[in-house]
Parts: sequence; structure tokens; C-alpha cells
Amino acid sequence: MKIWTIALSTFGSFLRNRLLIVFAVIFVCTVLLMMAPLLGAKAFAKAGNAQQAEAMVLGMVSAIMFFVSGTGSLLAAWCAADAVASETKSGTILAVMARPVKRWEFLLGKYTGVMLLMSVYVVMMYGLSWLLAWIGGERLHSATWVVLVYPMVRYAVYSAVAMAMVTALHPLVTIGITLIMAVAALMVQPTGHAVTGHWKYLKVPLWVVLPSTSLLSEERFLTITHASVKQIGLLEHLTTLAYGLDYALVFVLMAMWSFRYRSLTRD
Amino acid sequence: MTTAAIEFKEVTKVYRRRLAGQEVPALTHVSFEVGAGEVCAFLGPNGAGKTTSINILMGFLYADWGEIRVLGYEPGDVRAKQKIGFVPENFAFYKHLNAEKLLRFHLALAGGDMSKSNGLIRDLLFKVQLTGYEKLKVGKYSRGMVQRLGIAQALLSDPQLLVLDEPTSGLDPAGRKEVKDLIHTMKNEGKTIFLSSHILSEVEQICDRAIIINKGRLVRMGSLNELLGTGDLVEIVADQLPVEMEPTLGEWGATIERGGHGVRITVAAARKRELAERLWAAGCDVVSMVPVRSSLEDLYMKLVGGGEPV
Repeated sequence: MKIWTIALSTFGSFLRNRLLIVFAVIFVCTVLLMMAPLLGAKAFAKAGNAQQAEAMVLGMVSAIMFFVSGTGSLLAAWCAADAVASETKSGTILAVMARPVKRWEFLLGKYTGVMLLMSVYVVMMYGLSWLLAWIGGERLHSATWVVLVYPMVRYAVYSAVAMAMVTALHPLVTIGITLIMAVAALMVQPTGHAVTGHWKYLKVPLWVVLPSTSLLSEERFLTITHASVKQIGLLEHLTTLAYGLDYALVFVLMAMWSFRYRSLTRD
Repeated sequence: MTTAAIEFKEVTKVYRRRLAGQEVPALTHVSFEVGAGEVCAFLGPNGAGKTTSINILMGFLYADWGEIRVLGYEPGDVRAKQKIGFVPENFAFYKHLNAEKLLRFHLALAGGDMSKSNGLIRDLLFKVQLTGYEKLKVGKYSRGMVQRLGIAQALLSDPQLLVLDEPTSGLDPAGRKEVKDLIHTMKNEGKTIFLSSHILSEVEQICDRAIIINKGRLVRMGSLNELLGTGDLVEIVADQLPVEMEPTLGEWGATIERGGHGVRITVAAARKRELAERLWAAGCDVVSMVPVRSSLEDLYMKLVGGGEPV
């Protein structure tokens, strides 16, 4: 009950956050701009180059969704960091923590609030992918739950990482480190090419330690008609999602441990 | 034996600025107790360690050393927090909420009965004179209204212990009086009140005890009677004083102050009866007779302005 009360309050304050509103406006404008070439591709298809047009549509939908999905990771990290840091900075945390609320309950409430926001984002993202495919004259060919659950787990990981770090670091430093982690995770994923020099000694440990963004990417399953969909069994889904959830859980627990000992005042 | 509402034993807190390599002692071996049902003032200049102490007892900060108990529990224990109402200095609220929603939010966190929330919130807002402002967003409230709302939220769960950090700071005289009246009401209801304030005249009117700290050290504590004295001197006001009595009063070490409305004579308490009888015998009217005690402000200035720690 207390956790849910804090979560709803956090979600409500996100919806009123001016920075988030500005972010949403810029985001929508950017997506609209990116959609212009898609409409061009549709016109191209009507002119009789169906195969080329389909390839273009596929490429564009993939690029837009990569952008939207990647921005979601950043948004998850920023919201998680801000949810805790803004309470401490404004002093509102004192009124909340003067109530019979345990520190871990407060943090879990904040985390749940962030996940509520991200679930809205994921649903919107799913809607956008349908819209993009429809504009391009194609149809999504993927299980709905996969396209919803995979990004949620990825965002759960990034918000947990950010929340754990913001309990000890400045929110801007937290966002910076999370961003570097995300980029590094992309860089160290196996490509099949041989790695030389000192990089090979660093790459494998980093790949093990950092969250595997590509493994948790819904783009693996987000495809449209005529493209081949990789068939993945339930066990592999469960293993991959359990990996992501486990990663998130470890960082949420680290956040709770770190938050247990920190000062709640601005001193 | 009754459990003390607040126990501080040898509490020490040092703020460390690791990058600058600085250590700022905020509290040094501070020990005190606040009994159940007492109204206790916590006094000291800015930077004395009052807010640090309050933050420690609320569980917002951890002490480096010492033992702290609040209502018999460790600071931050939810069992203690269930019985505590807290008004921090410069209360910060979610500004997008109105008073009603804010109090409902706090009631939910306090684990209160939400089915009775409407009546409870209405009564509390009436108590703090915010009726009619329930739907106004807190961001649009004046400082005094925010402070009163802070007191309302502190009273939500009918607390045993009220911790008030500068509850009248920033309030106009009318607002201060309202808060003072509220504290009086809570005192009459038998609540323990731990109050930090700079307005010493008000503290003197409200509180039973006072704890004075300076530079992180306990300077003095005790009941106001103990601190201010109750009977060494007596001030007698008479309508007149025969001149022939003046030499005797001089011998007694009394001070005489003649004014438009009579004569003020300050004399040792042991002589008060004899003086009153002599005045009556000389045909004078004794208007008043009150024990002289120093004001809290005098004591505070004496202790904080260079007094040795006890």
C-alpha cells in the first residue's frame, strides 16, 4: 500500500515534470521528422518498385525504433536518478520519511513509479511501431507480449542501475555513467570478428559485467511482413528475461543497501 | 518506570567533507532526555546542532557515536514513526497537490483508515484554519499557510510525540499566535512536544523544560523554574512609599523604583512579608507581589554568549 502510494505519486509528478514535457515534445517532433522519408518510400512503392520500397521501409522503421528504444533507456535512467535526487534536493523526502515508511519501501515505491512511466512509454512505442509499419504499407509480424516485455526488462535494468548509482553519486554523474555503460555494452557485444590487442582482454569481462542491451532488445523480434522472423522457444525467452530481471534485481538491492546508510538531508 | 520519549546519550556527529579533507563537528557528546507528556524547548543559535539532532532522532541522519532512543525504539524505526508527528524547518511539500490530496497521501503512508479520511482531513484543516483552501494547490499557499498545513500533516496519525523544528519561523505575529495556540491545545491533550525555536518569549510561555546547546555541546538543561529561578527576589508594587522607610529598605538591600503608577520595590523573598506588613501599617496599598525571575532571553544570552558547557 505504502509502496503503491509512493509509486503513484512519483508517476504523477513525472507527468507534471516540465523537463519531461519538453523532452516529449522534442521527441514527437523528431519522430515526425524521421517519418517524412517513410512517406517518401511509400510513394516510391506506389511507383512500382515494391521490393526496393519494402527494404527502405524495413530500414527506416528499424532506425526509428532503434532511436525510440534507445531514448527509452536514457529516459528510464534519468527518471530513476531524478526520482530520488529531486526528493532530496527539494526536501520533500523528509516529510515522507517521517512517516512509518522504511527506506527500502520508499526506494521501491520510486522504482515502481519509474516503471509505471516506462510501461506507458513502451505501450506508446509499440503503437508507434504499428503506425510506422502501417504508413510504410506493411504489417508488424511479432508476438505482442515480446515487443512489450523485452523493452520493459531493459528499462528495468537501466533504471535500477541509475537508482543504485544516484544513492551515492550526483544525478548528472549517474546519467553520464549509465550512458557510458549503455554505449560500452553495445561496443563489447560479440560480432564474430577477431579482436586484437589489449582490447580482447577487456572486451570479454566487460561483456560479462555490463547489461547485454542487444540480448534484451525487442528489435530481434520486431520485424514486418516478408522478412523472416527468428523462431525462439519459450525457454530461451525465459532465460533471457530472467537474465535481465536478475540484473535489475541485483542493482535494486544495491540501491536499497546504499540508500539504507545515506543521509536524507541536503547537508 | 515510564519510558522517556526521547533519550540522547553521548551523541556525537561529525560532518566530513572527504574531498576537502575537512571535519566539522556538529554534535559532541550530547546527552539529554525528554519525558513523556513534557513540552520541551530545544534552543541554540544557528549552527548549534539543533537541526542535526532532530534529523538524527528522526532517522534522517546517523550519529557517529552515542545511543538514541525515540519512544523506546531506535531512530527511524517504523514503530516509533507511527507515533511521531514531525514538522521540519522550511517544510517542503509536493507543490502540485492541494491540501486535501496531500493529507490523503500522508494518511496513506501513515497506514491510516482511508475510509474515514474525509472527516479527519476536514477536521484537521479546520483546526489549523485552512478550511476553504482545501482545493488550492500547496504551491500557491503563503508561508504561514504551508506551516499550518505542516502541523496538520503532523497531527494526521494522532501522534504521541510531536517534533517541531522552528514551527513559527517566517510567520507573522497572527500566524505565530495561531501556532502557539495549537501547541497549547496539543499540550493540553497530553502530547509530548519537542520544539526548536528562536522565539524565546514564546518558548517561555509554552514549554515546561528547555535544553540549550551551543557549538554542538549541551550548555544547560532543566525545567524553566530551575533555569530561571523562582524565589530569591520578590517585586512588590505599592501605591506609595513613605520616605522614612527608605533607609530600612536600603539596609535590606532592596531596590526602589518610583513611577507614575506607584513604587516598585525589589526585595529578598525572606523580607517580603515584613515589608508588606510595614507598608500596610503605614497606610500604603500593596498592588502586587510577584517572584522575580530572569527571562529565558537573559539566560540564553548569558549562556550562548560565552557560557561554559556543563
